[in-house]
Amino acid sequence: MQSANVLLKKIVRSSVLPFAGQHGMKKDLLPLSRTLSLSLGLKQDNSCSPSEKLDLDAWKKVMKSGLQEEVSKTAPEHKELSALAAARELLEMWRLAGRLVPENISEEQLKTFMECPSKSAKKKYLKYLHLKEIHKKNDKRKMDEKRERRLEAQEQASKTDETKRNSFVCLWTSGMDKTYSWRVAQSMVFGQPLVFDMSYEKDMSIREVANTVRQIVLSEGCNRRSMDPFHIHFCNFKDDSLYHKEFLKHYREAWGKLLITVTDQCYTDVFPKDKLIYLTADSPKVMKTFDHDKIYIIGSMVDRSIKTGVSLARAKRLGLETAALPLEKYLLWSSGAKNLTLDQMMHILLTLKDTGDWKKALEFVPKRKYCSFVSKPVDELKKTLNLINTLKLGKRQEEVRKLFAKNYSKKLRQK
Amino acid sequence: NIQPPEKPLQAEEWNRLRESFLSPRIFEEVMFNSMVRCNSPIDVAKSLLTHVAKSNGDIAYNLLVKYLALCVQQGQTSEICDVYDIMKTRFKILESGAYSLFIRGLSNSDQWRMALTLLEEVKKIMIPSRTNYESCIKAASRHQEMNLAFDLYHEMLAKDLVPTLDVLQAFFDFSRGMKGAELQKELFGILLYLRENQIYPHRTFMRSIKLWFESIPGGNWRGHLTNIKDSGQCPVCNHQLEDSDLTEEEYNNLRERIIRDVIHGTDTFRKTSPQEFEAFQTFVENRFPFDIVIDGLNVSHIKPRKMQCENLFDAINCLAKDNARLLVLGRKHMLINSSNWQRDIMKEMQNKADFFFAENISEDDAFLLYATLRSGKHCKFVTRDFLRDHKACLSDSLTRHLFRKWQRGHQIAFSPSVEGKHIKFLPAFCYDCVVQTTGDTWHIPYKEIFEKKYSYEVPRKWLCIQQK
Repeated sequence: MQSANVLLKKIVRSSVLPFAGQHGMKKDLLPLSRTLSLSLGLKQDNSCSPSEKLDLDAWKKVMKSGLQEEVSKTAPEHKELSALAAARELLEMWRLAGRLVPENISEEQLKTFMECPSKSAKKKYLKYLHLKEIHKKNDKRKMDEKRERRLEAQEQASKTDETKRNSFVCLWTSGMDKTYSWRVAQSMVFGQPLVFDMSYEKDMSIREVANTVRQIVLSEGCNRRSMDPFHIHFCNFKDDSLYHKEFLKHYREAWGKLLITVTDQCYTDVFPKDKLIYLTADSPKVMKTFDHDKIYIIGSMVDRSIKTGVSLARAKRLGLETAALPLEKYLLWSSGAKNLTLDQMMHILLTLKDTGDWKKALEFVPKRKYCSFVSKPVDELKKTLNLINTLKLGKRQEEVRKLFAKNYSKKLRQK
Repeated sequence: NIQPPEKPLQAEEWNRLRESFLSPRIFEEVMFNSMVRCNSPIDVAKSLLTHVAKSNGDIAYNLLVKYLALCVQQGQTSEICDVYDIMKTRFKILESGAYSLFIRGLSNSDQWRMALTLLEEVKKIMIPSRTNYESCIKAASRHQEMNLAFDLYHEMLAKDLVPTLDVLQAFFDFSRGMKGAELQKELFGILLYLRENQIYPHRTFMRSIKLWFESIPGGNWRGHLTNIKDSGQCPVCNHQLEDSDLTEEEYNNLRERIIRDVIHGTDTFRKTSPQEFEAFQTFVENRFPFDIVIDGLNVSHIKPRKMQCENLFDAINCLAKDNARLLVLGRKHMLINSSNWQRDIMKEMQNKADFFFAENISEDDAFLLYATLRSGKHCKFVTRDFLRDHKACLSDSLTRHLFRKWQRGHQIAFSPSVEGKHIKFLPAFCYDCVVQTTGDTWHIPYKEIFEKKYSYEVPRKWLCIQQK
């Protein structure tokens, strides 16, 4: 409670808020600041007399004058701070200094912060919390605005007082849910299995695990809504693992009712080995067609640091066939890693399953990662890409043109 | 961006400026930033502070810090002290940015001892940055308090902070002409720190070292700039530089670590497979020691216009002199007759050298390292690869340094002019490029200041210091 008071005082004292009141800032304002800004407005009027002589050190007096009362108030607090409280103080000071630091931080987050091994890790963590906080605030603001608009609309509607009649009872969502569930239930009996390999927990940080689970939740959602869903298997799934905890956070009580198969067995124990194909970007083999009789395995792993060969190693150990998406063959790759997110994989596989059309399926690869679809042989296009890149980098145009001419004439000679 | 005014302004003038500014909410911040950038007179900043203080009754922390930055930039010591008093009474603790500014500002003034107390204060809430230490150490040594400076230096090393080259140079600059065996020992200690961490001083730092040596009273040291001959002999003092051979213990240690960290890593299957590695090990055991181990695929790409097997063939012929035992590492796809890999040429090569073909998806570099290390100290290896990714797999810096040292002495690279008809090789260095001493001589490699130096390159210029 005491620290909350101190916080409040600091907020009130910081120069930003009073002006925020005047200029209609969107932040939630403390009720205090409005009155404060009024009184300050008066003060400002007084100080602005033109005859005033400029006293350059006047600010020091102002700063020191406010101190006497301040000191007497904070005096009882001046005992040894616990490590947590000290960290909280430090964060508060960083926030005042304009660093990217969240306004509110929970005890748990504070502990995570203190356990960060390096200064840059601390900085990154704080920035992450800060951005998260901003997103949350913006979402809340938008929700509020929406609610207000809805209320307004309702008011207007009640004025006209006209109730619309419809032959369908408004049960769209639950009706759709039932259809989806029906389809997924069908797929659990007759559908093609798709395996998520849940054995990568040790290769990931906590945040990466959280991201992974989020991506799987998205994948599951899009599978459920598709015309012909996969029968999803979570293999190597350990109860009380980090994965499990994260899933519970997302699904809550729905976790037990999901129409998927969860097992702690390995896929090699569940399915015949010769039917399994492990999908990994590191695979030397490129997938040509989608095979409806095979069982594809996706590694449930987000690796921000690009650990090459982790999932390939797993497939090699079990002696499984591997495959990579034919990204190079169909797309003129420009930048970014070839590993895709799990939900992108799911979209691609579903599209392949339905249509077998690579072009349509690879639409789900993020646009920033490639320049265009390939219509000519790739190596020819690569030259164009190099040309584009050199142009982008601002090389002298002359040089580029010469280079191009050289390549071109060589090709002619070869023919 | 706005241009700060040249003279202090009245409150109303500030108000007018503020009104005309696009986003008045951050007017003060932006203004202070541009004041720091333009190095405006502090009177202007003060007038803005006064205006803010009068209209708000308070000044926000970030504005005070920005004002502080301006004062530090201009060395306004009394202002810095005033700001410190104000901040200290206003806020229970300060954050690292403000502390750094205070320490930097005060260490350059006659109030430098206060910077030391501030450093103590910082220690209570966090580990001070290396620049904090740098300021304090420089201040102490500027005032000839070398003991204090060295205490701080050892303290920062104990905290795993890496000292800047500036700090190290300052020690040499400020100890010039000073007497004392203890001091001399400390400075030699710094030179050995450079040696252990394979740091090369730049030209001005090198000059400081030279001048310090020459200034030691009664030391009779003389320094010369020189280039070391390829044989590893110093042209000035005819001293033979040490070679980059590792000791038996270091050698075994490095080999163990390569197997553990590079080949196995987190999962043996990532780079090879246990069966394959075992097969390779027995292969090496049956045939070692080799004299030269060659990365076949890497070598085969030297000249892009030639067939790959031809390149490899040239390289093998070039290296197969004096009955040297060669091992070529390759992948299985080389055995399939193709336009780049012709069977008859492959057959002929296999008469001249031992070949090991790894799986197509295995990494042959790791095998290269293993075979070379297993064959003994005389064995060299050939590749254009700088092996940086393998070095990065080693988990501690000590082993990484060992690896670099070994690499310098054992890697045969191609001569840069591969455009010529014949493939040529640069022999591996037969001397080690680190700071070294024999007691009455010191040899210190240095780099030009603006010379871009990659981690795998070593400087060719040396400072030779000898005692007459």
